[in-house]
Amino acid sequence: MKGSILAMNKTGIVYVAFFALTVAVSLSSCRDKRSTGLEYARNMYDPIAYNPDQPNKNFANGQTAQTPPPNTDPVGFVKYEYANTKEGYEAAGKNLVNPLPLTEQNLLQGKHYFTVFCAPCHGDKGDGKGHLVQIEKFTGVPAYHGDAASSRGGMMKDLTAGKIYHTIMYGLNNMGSHASQLSPKERWEVVMYVQKLQKIQ
Amino acid sequence: MRNISLIIRRVWKSAFMFTALSVLIVSGTQAQDAAEGRKIFKEKCTSCHSLDRDMTGPALQKIVPTKSEAFLLKWINNAPAFIASGDKEAVEASKFNPNAEMTAFPSLTPEQIKSILAYVKVGEPKKEGEKAGAAVQEEVSGFSLAGVVAVILISIVVLVVLGRAIKMLERLILQKQGVEIVEEEKVSLVAGIGGLFKNKKFVFFFILCLVITLGSFGWMGMWETGVHTGYQPVQPIKFSHELHAGTNQIDCQYCHSGAFKSKNASIPSLNVCMNCHKQVQARDSHDGNISPEIQKIYNALGYDADKMTYDKSKEKPVEWVRVHNLPDFAYFNHSQHVVVAEKAIRKEKGLKPNEPVCFACHGPVNTMEEIYQYSPLTMKWCINCHKAAEINGKDNAFYTKIIEAHEKIKKGEKITPAALGGLECGKCHY
Repeated sequence: MKGSILAMNKTGIVYVAFFALTVAVSLSSCRDKRSTGLEYARNMYDPIAYNPDQPNKNFANGQTAQTPPPNTDPVGFVKYEYANTKEGYEAAGKNLVNPLPLTEQNLLQGKHYFTVFCAPCHGDKGDGKGHLVQIEKFTGVPAYHGDAASSRGGMMKDLTAGKIYHTIMYGLNNMGSHASQLSPKERWEVVMYVQKLQKIQ
Repeated sequence: MRNISLIIRRVWKSAFMFTALSVLIVSGTQAQDAAEGRKIFKEKCTSCHSLDRDMTGPALQKIVPTKSEAFLLKWINNAPAFIASGDKEAVEASKFNPNAEMTAFPSLTPEQIKSILAYVKVGEPKKEGEKAGAAVQEEVSGFSLAGVVAVILISIVVLVVLGRAIKMLERLILQKQGVEIVEEEKVSLVAGIGGLFKNKKFVFFFILCLVITLGSFGWMGMWETGVHTGYQPVQPIKFSHELHAGTNQIDCQYCHSGAFKSKNASIPSLNVCMNCHKQVQARDSHDGNISPEIQKIYNALGYDADKMTYDKSKEKPVEWVRVHNLPDFAYFNHSQHVVVAEKAIRKEKGLKPNEPVCFACHGPVNTMEEIYQYSPLTMKWCINCHKAAEINGKDNAFYTKIIEAHEKIKKGEKITPAALGGLECGKCHY
């Protein structure tokens, strides 16, 4: 009798193992993080119109987001007249003035955009020691004040509003253009705040 | 004679000590110079120069050895003036990049310039031990996986062996007791199970179990249909939010600037990546080569990192896989939530002041190496929050306008849909 019990135990182990395996497999397949899982009526998720980031067979380059045709501007687009050259920089520095009035509200907005878009490198106080500079991911950032020299001549603290705007527009050396992230109004708000930081002694 | 040799030996010894000491001191000061130079270099030079690559300015480890120290001192101190003075070598040097001019650094002393040159000569101090540590860690993880498999295998073997041993012992005991061992009859498996199914109680129990299991699986399956919580697709570039939003502390809005202005949070275009990755190439951790993931950005843009030029004909958009996908029939506006409702959402979801409002729905993005869907984004989830969150109408331009309109209606003044935002395109066309 004893022997038979042992034999049954053996087959039992096989069954239990098999059952456990199937449960484990079915449970793990339910939680596959790489798939969206079961979906009902998937076509209700998919847009009928094209989303900006979707591929699109109707255009030669396969993208939905197209650049405007040549010689056209989107509605409300503000053209920037100065070229990305030394002459353009000097001309912008001479001719451009901040169109926004110097108000507390504008400065506050400028501070917000500065903190998000400039401070990672330039530092909250414009001292060129932002977080990325401190952890040495990005270096060579000039301060806005003190004896820091601009690589385009003159001192950083003497840069005019137009020159700062021009730099945000096109970038300089290792700094990239921030025109796609900031609208013209936002750029001027940032310029206003940067000019406040230039006055730090 | 013996005395003389002793004296000579002593002199020799002290001379040796002296030279050794002076060598140590000299090399020590050199190291210090280089460290000082590195600090100034990182502060003032790296926006245009790299040690081993041409950037806005030439690669310094290539150009510096070809120039005399006297030239370099003058050049770094005030290059524009040096060029203007008509020096032949200076004029020649200025032709490297006609679009940019070497910045003048009159504030640097000759000693500081010399320490920069010392740093350029020595190069980046090698970080020892870092690599070895990583290798050990990798080995450990590989080892632990193999270990787990081995433990499982060994335990199976042990179980089988123990089973056999028990059987043998039992036989021995039975033999000793003088019981005759009857080899059991092997009942065929199929016949055994067939016999079980003749038992009505067993059949009932079996069907009950089956119904409960299938029913609960079905119920769970239905609840989870169309809910993508935890969805984490493989993206074409291994972009780590943990690194960018966590370690580097870059604000969400820097890349997803659309979230605060429009319906879409917007996936950043590659020019935003290039704002940093024109310089940041993670060469340290890839044996001096550009990180393969950063190279994917360059490939998509047709950017040549050595020449620093773009080739428009080689552009190929990166096909990110969408993680958060609301059904097309549900309208959701990011700016309305993160700008107008920021305070209400912060309060409702209990966010800390240093956490961006985005975390309320997207979870701790700064810890996600790979992005995944944190919230269920189901209708119930939206509605529960809309029932509970408390609107704060104070200092909120959105509500001031609504209150104004209500006042006008109360007074019986004329009010048009246009005054309530009825001319916004998105009110009808979304």
